[in-house]
Amino acid sequence: MKTLRVGLLTPYAWDVPGGVNYHVRDLAENLMARGHHVQVLAPSDDESDLPPYVTSAGGTVPVNYNGSTARVAFGPLVSRRVETWLRDGAHDVVHIHEPIVPSVGLIALRAATAPVVGTFHSSQERSRAMIIANPFLQPGLERISARIAVSEAARRTVVEHLGGDAVVIPNGVEVDRFANASPDPRWQGSAEAPTIGFLGRLDEPRKGLQVLLGAVTAVRRQSPGARFLVAGRGDIDDALRDAGLPRDAVEYLGEISESDKLALFASLDLYVAPQIGGESFGIVLVEAMSGGAGVISSDLVAFRAVLDDGASGRIFRTGDSADLARVLIEAIEQPEETERLRRYARTAVGRFDWGTVASRVLDVYAMVTAAPSDHRGLLERIFRGRR
Amino acid sequence: MALIAIGVVAIVGLVLVNLAQRVDRLHRRVISSRAVLEAQLVRRAETAGNLARTGRLDAASTLIVAEAAWNAAVQAPRLVGGASDLADTGMERGLVESELTIDLRAALGDAEDLTALRADPVAAAPLADLEQAAYRAQLARRFHNDAVVATQRLRQNPLVRVFHLAGRAAMPVTFEMDDDVFR
Repeated sequence: MKTLRVGLLTPYAWDVPGGVNYHVRDLAENLMARGHHVQVLAPSDDESDLPPYVTSAGGTVPVNYNGSTARVAFGPLVSRRVETWLRDGAHDVVHIHEPIVPSVGLIALRAATAPVVGTFHSSQERSRAMIIANPFLQPGLERISARIAVSEAARRTVVEHLGGDAVVIPNGVEVDRFANASPDPRWQGSAEAPTIGFLGRLDEPRKGLQVLLGAVTAVRRQSPGARFLVAGRGDIDDALRDAGLPRDAVEYLGEISESDKLALFASLDLYVAPQIGGESFGIVLVEAMSGGAGVISSDLVAFRAVLDDGASGRIFRTGDSADLARVLIEAIEQPEETERLRRYARTAVGRFDWGTVASRVLDVYAMVTAAPSDHRGLLERIFRGRR
Repeated sequence: MALIAIGVVAIVGLVLVNLAQRVDRLHRRVISSRAVLEAQLVRRAETAGNLARTGRLDAASTLIVAEAAWNAAVQAPRLVGGASDLADTGMERGLVESELTIDLRAALGDAEDLTALRADPVAAAPLADLEQAAYRAQLARRFHNDAVVATQRLRQNPLVRVFHLAGRAAMPVTFEMDDDVFR
């Protein structure tokens, strides 16, 4: 296959961890491993330790956009850097992530001369900002030759807010890294003392820690040895106080590293994703499934899709601690069924593996680069004549 | 007064030029994505024909798929070339391509049959080619239809209509077919 020069853009500060940036990093590295030439343009406040393939688009400004704070970049300096990067890059394809977030991607839409691919990550209910901005966004959106959504939820957002359609190519996970991770004996359970894990910000209500804590007492009544392991940033004492639980109700692991996360998913008997909303994909579920933990998730559309409607794991009513307790007890008391779901999950994650996902993205690149394009605009053709 | 009039005319002029550029850009996107779609459909039919030629499908399937592939790749009208690229609904072509899809679905059978065929050393490579070609054809059609829908929407803009900014170009239409070979 022909080697492509690919330019990737992310709207969010590179030094802030987040789903979109992980996706861009993994995509870049997978494409490079296949011999393609990849450059990334990202806002960044600390230019000293960027990977060699990342160029900074300038410092960021925290803005409130769509109900959360994002650090993005805009302004004249950023515009010039985007234009220079596009010109010097001579890309075969420019791939903009979250193209309607007001940051480098939106600027690049105007300036790009190569075919543009856009990936939409977020899913949201109707947003006032998007409705108001729609007429201003349309001319830019018309320049995107191929739109990708990372989930059905994200695709629905595109269809409802922007019109048109998008192909669904899921987020990727390095399945093998999780599947081959060695378990950590501290986190491995037994039949009498199964380990049940949670991973996420403790103080962010959307992540649903309180839903899980609400189920602890009921689960302990049936299975007194059950161990609850909680990992993530935040104040565990506050969280336990809010839930009315004693300090020793859960084992708090603190904020864990990437390698600890691999070991955690390889060790846990059950992983619970009690998120109550705002999830467009559910990458952490795929990671847990790849690592071999049995998964239990809330009933969000995105999670349901990842779990094949319950074929890969159990599902409980979103936000309902009593229902979560019921499902947890069922999972502990029916180990054969839990094992069957786990085995199915291990094969089902194949479609989320970066190998598969990167191939599909390359198929999209092939479709937009197949046609020879005339980069000259209408006026240039009128005044300079046709070639 | 005269200055204001000149200003208004200039602004209206800029808006119109901008709109004309957008219409033009979309028309070119429609034309190029249609050419890509045509090429991918031919590729899809060719890979289907190659798979039939391995003789690893049953005898009836081999004949039917080979015939449908020939129809799609050679006999049916093309989507590009000819006078009315944009207006051509491609209806006849769509029917022929859908038939190829339906025949392939029947010939390839269910998930178990597919697994067996993937394990067959002779059929595996042509099957993988067909899977990629079928997927790419789906992508190409989606991207083409996206461009068509965006064009239709912009051309409904009253300014575009009153000032004939679309010139004599016919209104493009989406290309419809059943393209779901591996569902």
